[in-house]
Amino acid sequence: MARRTFGAGRGHVTALAVDGVASSAVAAIRDRVRDAASRRVPLRVVGAGTWLDAGRPTAHAEPLPVRDTAGIVAYVPGDLTLTAGAGTTLAEVRDATSKHGQWLALDPYGSDEGTLGATLATASSGPLATAFGTPRDLTLGVEFVTGAGVIARGGGRVVKNVAGFDLTRLMIGSWGTLGILTEVTVRLHAKPQCDETFALTLASDADVARTRELLRRMPFTPYACEIVNGRLAQQLLGVDELTALVRLGGNDEAVTAQRAALGALGEPRPVDPAVWKALRQCEPSDALVLRLSQLPSEIGRTWSEASAIADSCAGTLLHAAPARGIVRCIVPATETNVAWLHRAFRSPMMSTRVGERMPAALWTELAAPPTGDAVSVGIKRAFDPQSILNRGIRGEPA
Amino acid sequence: MTNAALHEASPRTADSRIDRALATRLAAIVGDKRVLFRPSELLTYTSDGLPSYFKQPGIAVFPGTRDEVIAVVRELVPLGIPFVARGAGTGLSGGALADGVVLIGLNRLNHILSVDADNGIAVVEPGVVNARLSRAVAEHGLYYAPDPSSQTACTIGGNVAENAGGPHCLKYGVTTNHILALTVLLPSGEVITLGSAAGERDGYDLVGAFVGSEGCFGIALDITVRLSRNPEAVRTVLADFMSMDSAARAVSAIVATGIVPAALEMIDQPTIRAVESSIYAAGYPVDAAAALLIELDGAAAGLERDVSTVEALCASNGARTVRIARDDVERARLWQGRKKAFGAMGRISSHLVIQDAVVPRTRLPDVLAQIHEIGVRNRVQICNVFHAGDGNLHPNIPYDASDADESARVHVAMREIMGACVSAGGTITGEHGVGIDKLPYMEKIFSDDSLATMCALREVFDPHHRSNPGKVVPVHSCREWHAAPSARAEAT
Repeated sequence: MARRTFGAGRGHVTALAVDGVASSAVAAIRDRVRDAASRRVPLRVVGAGTWLDAGRPTAHAEPLPVRDTAGIVAYVPGDLTLTAGAGTTLAEVRDATSKHGQWLALDPYGSDEGTLGATLATASSGPLATAFGTPRDLTLGVEFVTGAGVIARGGGRVVKNVAGFDLTRLMIGSWGTLGILTEVTVRLHAKPQCDETFALTLASDADVARTRELLRRMPFTPYACEIVNGRLAQQLLGVDELTALVRLGGNDEAVTAQRAALGALGEPRPVDPAVWKALRQCEPSDALVLRLSQLPSEIGRTWSEASAIADSCAGTLLHAAPARGIVRCIVPATETNVAWLHRAFRSPMMSTRVGERMPAALWTELAAPPTGDAVSVGIKRAFDPQSILNRGIRGEPA
Repeated sequence: MTNAALHEASPRTADSRIDRALATRLAAIVGDKRVLFRPSELLTYTSDGLPSYFKQPGIAVFPGTRDEVIAVVRELVPLGIPFVARGAGTGLSGGALADGVVLIGLNRLNHILSVDADNGIAVVEPGVVNARLSRAVAEHGLYYAPDPSSQTACTIGGNVAENAGGPHCLKYGVTTNHILALTVLLPSGEVITLGSAAGERDGYDLVGAFVGSEGCFGIALDITVRLSRNPEAVRTVLADFMSMDSAARAVSAIVATGIVPAALEMIDQPTIRAVESSIYAAGYPVDAAAALLIELDGAAAGLERDVSTVEALCASNGARTVRIARDDVERARLWQGRKKAFGAMGRISSHLVIQDAVVPRTRLPDVLAQIHEIGVRNRVQICNVFHAGDGNLHPNIPYDASDADESARVHVAMREIMGACVSAGGTITGEHGVGIDKLPYMEKIFSDDSLATMCALREVFDPHHRSNPGKVVPVHSCREWHAAPSARAEAT
């Protein structure tokens, strides 16, 4: 009864959602997990393998590739939904959907060679989250293999669904520690008539909070608004100035009016939209990356705390999403910088610190493991009783 | 009720632990007048907005503060007594009904605890009525976006339990997209905090897991919600069609353009006639086969362009007339007809069954044709009024429950409709929840392993299934989990 059709780029591909019927690739993953569970051998889930150094250091583990699940399973453009194997890359999704004037509005940092599964498992998002939200807002259903080797589904393939407990959101951002994503259904959007990017030079750090205040009062939400520090602006645009990058979308009347509204902040100058790809890929592969966040109204203070890192750690790149209250810090992993952060993390900050990638020693200083509460521990135990999935990546005992 | 009354009669339940002594102890926490156990007093609490189900709670208790809720639940813990939380009782799935439980009414916890207008955040108690929150924050130019049709009565706590939707969820998302954090009372009596409004929350998405858990994971004591900014401009369009099929095709055409209306609702002829005969008459054309109520909102600039596109798509798909509300009064009237449609159906018959299935949007014309055929074949009248933009159908069948033959035909038709929606790749509930009503259909869309996994999640929050027992996952699915090889492996 399995009606999966793999292979991207076929245009209208449909398959019935059949819970309880696994593809051979998923069955192979299930068998691998059952075998590992019986031997109590930890597994490290591997998508495209482009971001294996993210998260806390994992225990020595056997790699478990999921790339064999790749392929579009169902895509009917009129439904604005797409179901694909978790091993499908973002590039494959982009190529399939762009033919129909649609897109998955997710632009996590890194390249489009990363997989859908990894993007959702790590709840990664990028500048477009300002308008379109994060993976929890764009994912409609998941299939996964638990650490006990059970294939389960949550959600479905339609845009609205409250049947059953929300296993979909539980899986998103769980970093593969509760189950291995094997298939996902995502919500798509139609591409707008106009999609334009502008840069505005900001006079001083005080303009970071002013930008957020302006966004709050505007009658529209830009597709993206990221403020980049001078060093990052130099890398992206060739000018060493604090700069706001703003992406506007909609029909031409709307975008014209939005551009005019930005005038309250400065003179918007059109820039090549390739700047967004460059921003997503701006970090050196060995950089140390963390995010600071507070309420959006505190973005000025959050930016100050991030700037303190940049002032002390040579070569640090900063970019902020003012509407979301988040500043992302990309710090070259020099010995001096690591030592400084080691000291800095011991002092409390106003901001919440979330790590993306950093040396082992820094994680313990950064923040307490985020899944140490009794409910999280209970869920981990229920879904991965032998603790074999990505062991240690959320800070649980390796 | 007085203390003397407490001694007059015992709660009528088979559970001997729910007795006069328990009622007295609960009354010591919340006050004598806030504990009910006479059958006549409990009648209101034996059903909800879907009058097809009756369950008899043993005692109903109405705490007035968060501490009283905690004390009530902790009183029940040592005895292992099950409980069910209830808000306004407007649910449409039998979600807050259970036999032989202590029913905990939360409608007295109705305080808006704080509003942070700058960040668009409010913290509310679970008994705050949905529409009241929007009214309270209107002075800041804000509102709470999820808008179930019952929003003038239903509570935010109930919305969280059911992950409630509403017409405007097409553009703005359902309840789960608007909940930032929760303080939760676990069935064990422990109080925990989930999520955070201030800064990113690393870790498992426990807010996501809790919202829509239908009261099975515990009781939300306070809820931190995201507020939305009032749109600069709103345009409400009514388009009427001479066939359901052409209306459904117009919906597909609008969705495919990428314009996301704030709401895109369809109302069929039987519903139009029920509404127009009622006090909620909205001026819908009674000779139309179907009408679409379409709302576009956002920044004023560019909005008229989208309105023109929508008008053109309706016309090219066979709309007879397309009318745009001239002012807020006309707009409110058009919406009143839609939101009170379920109530208007009370004019047709004494009873009503309501479905909530969702289908892929391109399948709407086909599924609506099947629903029509099912209605004709089973000789039942189906009234469709639903969220067409997200494919969320509400085929409703008014009937007389005292007519056994008609009741039987209605239930056959409902099963067949559900089957048609599931076969089209849809789901069994889009916003009302599983409750009791959709429980038999869970196995149609989820495998035993998926249901058992859901059950395992529930048992982390509520190991003994004391919080709203018997909902969402069929009980035997949980038994299968315990019997499954993987579960046995877990136990070793």
